[in-house]
Amino acid sequence: MKQKNIQQSDEEIVALIQAGDIDFFETLIHRYEKKMKRYARKFTSDDEEIKDIIQGIFIKSYVNIQSFDPKRKFSSWLYRIAHNELVNALKKKKRNILPLFELDTFLPHSLQDNSLSQNIDRQDIRKMIDKCLDQLKLKYREPIILYYLEDLSYKEIAEIMRIPISTVGIRIKRAKEIMKSIFKKLRYTL
Amino acid sequence: MNNQEEKNSIVDKILNKIKNEKVKMKPKIYFILRTVLLVGGSLVLIFLIISLVSFIVFSLRTSGALFLPKFGSPGIKIFFMSLPWLLILIAIILTVLLEIFSKKFTFVYRQPIFYSLLIIIIITFIGSFLINKTSLHPNLFWKAQERHLPGIEMVYRDFGVPRIKDVYYGIISGITDNGFNIETPRGEVFNIIINSETRLALEVNIEEGDAVVILGKQSNSNIQAFDIHKVKKDFNLFRPQQIHDHRPLLK
Repeated sequence: MKQKNIQQSDEEIVALIQAGDIDFFETLIHRYEKKMKRYARKFTSDDEEIKDIIQGIFIKSYVNIQSFDPKRKFSSWLYRIAHNELVNALKKKKRNILPLFELDTFLPHSLQDNSLSQNIDRQDIRKMIDKCLDQLKLKYREPIILYYLEDLSYKEIAEIMRIPISTVGIRIKRAKEIMKSIFKKLRYTL
Repeated sequence: MNNQEEKNSIVDKILNKIKNEKVKMKPKIYFILRTVLLVGGSLVLIFLIISLVSFIVFSLRTSGALFLPKFGSPGIKIFFMSLPWLLILIAIILTVLLEIFSKKFTFVYRQPIFYSLLIIIIITFIGSFLINKTSLHPNLFWKAQERHLPGIEMVYRDFGVPRIKDVYYGIISGITDNGFNIETPRGEVFNIIINSETRLALEVNIEEGDAVVILGKQSNSNIQAFDIHKVKKDFNLFRPQQIHDHRPLLK
């Protein structure tokens, strides 16, 4: 397999793969391998496990690529597969499992605007995430990683986690509050 | 192994699996069929929920339970005790299943569960209201009584017109010296006895053909009435002959 047509968008490449030109799949792997690895590393530090997860993500995406609608965003679709792989990997190790039902997905919330976070800028939040990510529950950890580290929108995060858009805002807000209290407790400084 | 080598090893492993056809792309038809099944399954679930809820309402109408709150706190107590809890539990389970099914659709999971549940509940209530406006359930009930309804015969016979202890609902088929006769949706005839122990609002003018709900004690075909309420006549629950000729159809 050879990498071809770097100029094309992800969605155009997927359309070509769906049409039968599977050689283009390599291009997608090269585009997303680093991102997927970085994402997985936020949930596990085991290198072997990360390798297995990355393989699982790309193999699942290849197997199911005909289900992708090229009118939608490929990155969200791939992150959804990554989310499932990570949840399954964590389930196997019985660590930080996402419950089937969360109360915050039940009731409607007003959309939280995290774009102008009070007193803390994006860079500071990234530093906070680095220091206290392990202490956040998976349901808070994932949206905050996707929003602040992977630069995805609420809508994309909602697609990936299959939760309401307003819940994404609530979880990011809650995650920041938890991180702030951890910082205060441990007397960390930014 | 340095980073570049490690990276290549993962990429090569994936690409080799694809090249050697150890992993195969699922065809588009697989996903189309899956979507069709998902949509079909959701529609079947909606149909089952509406059928079940409309059937529950039908059984509450035929037993007279729906009118029990008119009797005040004793009536409300009997009403809750007479609810078909097994059927209600099945309806709840089916609703949860439908919610899980529908979570696969983008327009559903983007919204809070509250909204999708509310929509399911509204659709169910409208659907069951419309079904109860027709003679579907009474007709099926009569067919079940005549054993012409294989498959769901048991459901209609066991749950269709439940008997609630001390509660009698029917149409007045004749006035007697000490009360009146009623015919129930089952086609049974009871002689209702009114005496000093009977609570019946004086302004209530009871006539032949009226629908009534009675709280009372049964002894053979006689019922000593404690409380009587005139209710809206529910034509769908009775066969035309019952309403006009007052002839019981099933004994």
